[in-house]
Amino acid sequence: MDIEGAGPEIAIRHLDKDRVNFVLSNADLSVANALRRAMISEVPTIAIDIVQFEENTTVLADEFLAHRLGLIPLYSANVEQFKYTTECVCTEYCSACSVVLTLEAKCTREGETVMVTSRDLQSHDPKVSPVMSDEFDRGIMIVKLHKGQEIKLTCIARKGLGQMHAKWSPVSAVGFEYDPHNRLRHLEYWIEEDAKKEWPLSRNADFEEPPRDDEPFDYNAEPNKFYYDVETVGSIRPEDVVSMALDVLQEKLKVTEAALQEGQTMLTGGMPGEPTNDGWNQPVDAMNAAGW
Amino acid sequence: MPPQTSQFHTVTRETFARNPSDKQFEYPALQTLTYPHLKSFNAITECCHGDSAEDGLSPGLIERALEDIGQKVVFDGKPGGVGGYGNKLSMWVEEVQIGRPAVSERDTHSVNRLMFPSECRERLVNYAGRLMVKLCWRVNNGPVQTELKQMGMAPIMVKSNLCNIEKFSPRQLIDVGEECEEMGGYFIVNGLEKIIRLLIVNRRNHVMAVVRPSYANRGPSYTPYGCQIRSVRPDETSATVGLNYLSDGQVMFRFSWRKQEFLVPVLMIIKSLVDTSDMEIFQAILREDFDNTFVTDRVELMLRKFKNYELHTREQCLAYLGDKFRVVMNQAEDVSDVDVGKFLLQKVVLVHLKHNRDKFNMLAYMIRKLYALVSGECAPDNPDSPQHQEVLLGGFLYAGILKEKLEDWLNGIRMELMRDVRRNPASADFLDRRYLMKIIGRVPSDIGQKLHYFLATGNLVSSTGMDMQQTSGYTIVAEKLNFLRYLSHFRCIHRGSFFAELKTTTVRKLLPEAWGFLCPVHTPDGTPCGLLNHLSHSCKVLTYFARVDHLPRLLASLGVSLNVVNPEAGDLSVQLDGRLIGWCSPKLAERVARELRHWKVTGQHDVPLDLEIGYVPPSNRGQYPGLYLFASPARMMRPVRYLAADRKDMVGSFEQVYMEIACMDDEVDPKTSTHQEYTPTNILSVVANLTPFSDFNQSPRNMYQCQMGKQTMGTPAQAIAKRTDNKLYRLQTGQTPIVRPKLHDSYGIDGFPNGMNAVVAVISYTGYDMEDAMILNKSGHERGFGYGTVYKSEVVDLADARRRGEATRYHFGLGADTPRKVLEKLDLDGLPFIGIKLRDGDPMCAYVDDVTGRTIVKKFKGLEDGYVDQVRLLGSDAGDKECQKVHIRFRITRSPIIGDKFSSRHGQKGVCSQKWPSVDMPWTESGIQPDVIINPHAFPSRMTIGMFVESLAGKSGALHGIVQDSTPFQFNEQHTAADYFGEQLAKAGYNYHGNEPMYSGITGEELRVDIYIGVVYYQRLRHMVSDKYQVRTTGPVHVLTQQPLKGRKRAGGIRFGEMERDSLLAHGVSFLLQDRLMNCSDYTQTHVCKRCRSIVSPAATAVSAASTRRTVQCRICERDDAVVLIAVPYVFRYLATELMAMNIRLDLAVN
Repeated sequence: MDIEGAGPEIAIRHLDKDRVNFVLSNADLSVANALRRAMISEVPTIAIDIVQFEENTTVLADEFLAHRLGLIPLYSANVEQFKYTTECVCTEYCSACSVVLTLEAKCTREGETVMVTSRDLQSHDPKVSPVMSDEFDRGIMIVKLHKGQEIKLTCIARKGLGQMHAKWSPVSAVGFEYDPHNRLRHLEYWIEEDAKKEWPLSRNADFEEPPRDDEPFDYNAEPNKFYYDVETVGSIRPEDVVSMALDVLQEKLKVTEAALQEGQTMLTGGMPGEPTNDGWNQPVDAMNAAGW
Repeated sequence: MPPQTSQFHTVTRETFARNPSDKQFEYPALQTLTYPHLKSFNAITECCHGDSAEDGLSPGLIERALEDIGQKVVFDGKPGGVGGYGNKLSMWVEEVQIGRPAVSERDTHSVNRLMFPSECRERLVNYAGRLMVKLCWRVNNGPVQTELKQMGMAPIMVKSNLCNIEKFSPRQLIDVGEECEEMGGYFIVNGLEKIIRLLIVNRRNHVMAVVRPSYANRGPSYTPYGCQIRSVRPDETSATVGLNYLSDGQVMFRFSWRKQEFLVPVLMIIKSLVDTSDMEIFQAILREDFDNTFVTDRVELMLRKFKNYELHTREQCLAYLGDKFRVVMNQAEDVSDVDVGKFLLQKVVLVHLKHNRDKFNMLAYMIRKLYALVSGECAPDNPDSPQHQEVLLGGFLYAGILKEKLEDWLNGIRMELMRDVRRNPASADFLDRRYLMKIIGRVPSDIGQKLHYFLATGNLVSSTGMDMQQTSGYTIVAEKLNFLRYLSHFRCIHRGSFFAELKTTTVRKLLPEAWGFLCPVHTPDGTPCGLLNHLSHSCKVLTYFARVDHLPRLLASLGVSLNVVNPEAGDLSVQLDGRLIGWCSPKLAERVARELRHWKVTGQHDVPLDLEIGYVPPSNRGQYPGLYLFASPARMMRPVRYLAADRKDMVGSFEQVYMEIACMDDEVDPKTSTHQEYTPTNILSVVANLTPFSDFNQSPRNMYQCQMGKQTMGTPAQAIAKRTDNKLYRLQTGQTPIVRPKLHDSYGIDGFPNGMNAVVAVISYTGYDMEDAMILNKSGHERGFGYGTVYKSEVVDLADARRRGEATRYHFGLGADTPRKVLEKLDLDGLPFIGIKLRDGDPMCAYVDDVTGRTIVKKFKGLEDGYVDQVRLLGSDAGDKECQKVHIRFRITRSPIIGDKFSSRHGQKGVCSQKWPSVDMPWTESGIQPDVIINPHAFPSRMTIGMFVESLAGKSGALHGIVQDSTPFQFNEQHTAADYFGEQLAKAGYNYHGNEPMYSGITGEELRVDIYIGVVYYQRLRHMVSDKYQVRTTGPVHVLTQQPLKGRKRAGGIRFGEMERDSLLAHGVSFLLQDRLMNCSDYTQTHVCKRCRSIVSPAATAVSAASTRRTVQCRICERDDAVVLIAVPYVFRYLATELMAMNIRLDLAVN
């Protein structure tokens, strides 16, 4: 990263329960994109991973229900306290790496339809439970039961990353934009007559000086102001998503840096022929630590 | 601008789904789609005039058929009795009863005796009702005796008037395990749903002029000219007769009887029909047109030539005919020649007419039309044009087969009696009821079984041929692959398999006459193109007789001369359903047609709305003129707006040709237009109508979509739990399309979702979307995009394992010798646990053999793992036997993988080539990532602009939360779709044209161009790699050739054929060639003797005392020094031995 003068800055424009809108400035495009990618796929959350069916006489098949359950967001504020299953010492699952949730519902009355929602999921860990927008939220519909239908199952929720499966991604979408006025001319607008008329400016355009008509094109300019709009699924607070993603990036950089230094020492001081770490294994191990 | 009429109706649908109606169907339009099948079946037992039963009942088809069959007569040859032939036994069938489907009589447990279709489907049996026949007979003139005979079980059409769920409401239908909007129209045979195909046949009772070169091959002096008429009896069976023109001006009458063709001079027929004079015949043909020397000459010659027969009176002609046809007609001994002649006329000549005078007039008309054709006065009629076509309806065909089988049965009894009289004259006693019963019992009487055979195989086994051009392919299975495919089975209409073999393509052409009746878009490409058509969604096929008894009187009041004998020159004939009823001048005919039409539309003078008024005006060498009225069933009709009264008029395919029907508003010409289309989409079939914005697409793309819509993995049925189909595809995550036409709602397609609304970006990204491949968003896929399931069924019938007649020896269950591993999958009853996962080779079910005491485990076979979804225990009909049959349904999960096929609704199919993680996908400024990426190259040559419009509409619909109406022909040059949806997009803050800047997921850099991105409804097609992939390293080989087997099922290889070999040769890669053709195929080593150069002579020596080592010695040279080992393909060795067997020596030069 090429940092001159002031380092990267984050200015939060808007923040609420499941959304953060911020501007990252004084950063390189690669950093900005890395942050975006990390938020989507490398911030760990907890999601249902294994479902053990005891009884399922509903209209939905086992595997389909399991899929639906997996996509239910769970509060994962304390995700850092959990281990990845691959790192855990237990054989199958334990309280250090997983949370058990149970679901039990039955419809016994004629003419009634029981709606089984995520509210019916009973978590063994009060901190890890299905996300609700407020106390009136009825939860996410899982299945509807008719008379005589029953469902009884145990879910094992585990820690995971968005890159393993989308259910572990803490965000639903990450809006990302730079250069709203197209000053850098990265994009050539397709127009019929007039670009200004046909292309509506985004709201981020208000945060930058509109280019003057006689302004010369600066072909050396680089983007350095990035507008993010992060919308989460509710499992982790949006500001935490950002900071956790930054942590992930830092962690990665640390590993890379360490590996580079080791490589340097090997090049300068290491004895020829001496078995050393070739500098590439290290990050892979570190990646393992991150749950690959 | 299109009005915003469509809505999602989510709440309404939910309400209906929770509280199914007790009264009406939610989608009445859907119910009408199967009417051609249903109502025609109903007509077997009840024929009605007009749409409702209140219009008055007339006898059903089967009753009319019995009348036509008549009596069969046998003599016992005993002295005395009638005319020296002995006692005369005449017998006939008086009544046919078909009962409602019910459980077997042997069943003593059921309280409710009715049987419902879902039970038949689940138990894989037939849905049939008892067929009873009342056989009557009398000996001489004695008292009539009757006997009620059971003729097996007749298949019953679901929802017909014989079906137990005929008038069920949605709620009742659900209670008996049916779809809530069940449409019926099919039979259930062995649990399969079978439909009798609609077939195109020649228009009934209308004379067609034809020129066929093959006519000239009939004999010397025959010419290609002829005319023919397909006469239909009141019982809806038909007989086609024709006239052939001979080069000397004579005319031959052609008819067929029991698949044999006969030609008789037409004058013989005419003179047999009525007592007439040559003068009268001359006048009837010429109609005062004495200046027409072409006709006068020929008629005169014909009359002169007939003198050679020296037949002067009607009696003489009849006797002559009767004498010649007595054997063919198979008439009783006591019938006189004259009566045989009369019988022939009644059975064969213009059978749609009852009176001989009418037949006479019609024949005269035919002769005149034939002469007009020969002289070039009129053009030949095109039999491929829907103008001269009608529909052969399933129910009518069913009735015809039933009629024929009944007649066959009667004839069988007659033959059996005759044979018995011949063999045992002493014991034959017609007065003894028991004797007769014994004889009748010998004749196979299971007509129900024959009907089932017809439905199960589609083969028509018939002694008369039933006036059909084909003997097989009458029925199809109504596959519930998805709802669209299921629907279109009922709407498809075939030209006949005879035409499929024809080399000429004229029959396949889309003719302008088909406008509005047959869908121009919905026909498959390939072999059946143009032969397999689909009815337009508004087209109706009539199934009832319109009431027209009063019509002649009405016509007379309009000035039509009902005096059919002496018309004035230039007058046109007026025909009603192939009966000549009068004459009038062309001017008057036009006025009559106009007047009649006005009356029929406005309902005056009881002129039925379904009357077809085909006025063919006189023209210069055009169609033969006349006023042709049709009121018969089986015609195609469609609604159009009658402008003069602004009311609905039903228009038939014959009259439409001569009508002025404007399509759009601006095409209405006040001077000429009398009618206007209600909507231009009326010409499209149901499936073609569901293609959004199809008017923007290049036409073949719409055809492709009609095919692909039917191959989509969708929602086949709502009552999936009750289905036992062999294979069922189901999309678990279906959605209602945002962009859909209005008809989507009226046909209730929302109940059967067929795809997903996908965010589609048109961009060339990473190269994985080249050549029609498409990239899926992995995260989208993980969230359930396109997730599907396949249900496969397996039937285990223990009766198959034992021999017939053997006592039950196998029982489901586990014995003591069951391996432990089996217990993991199977319960103690020998059946698998519900929900358990089975791999290839896992136990599927087990049964115990009584005799050996051993447990036999049946294994699950399949390349894919399956979950046990349902296990059905299928009992016997009477419910009195042990369960010997189970039906196991497996659920195979099919989440989309690379290689699966997808398509939009615009004939744009593609194969998933890569699933990119969502971080690598491009995104828009708002963070939207596409579910699907397709390549821009998919568009320029295919010109599916409709897909672009759908993308725009879908995007703005998603942004505003509204349904977008995509009915075609809503936009025009002044109000373009691009503007309409562009404005909506602009309102939502998006680019007017649907483009958006996007960023590369990999670098984060803004892409150089803006990308067209929007929401398009995507279908997942049923072609999946899991069903198709074929790989092999080593595996089974052919026993004889040692070469790899072929076929995916047998783990075989893919043939490396001649052309592949050629290409390797051309490349000069001989090592690769050897690798493919020998090393990886049938590589062997063999011994060859260099001296005698034979491959067959070397043989291993026996182990002797001298040496324990075997050597290979040449048996001819008796030495081993020249024997060498070479590598050859195994087939070569095989060839050598085969040649040896033919005494051919193979000489091998080995260096």
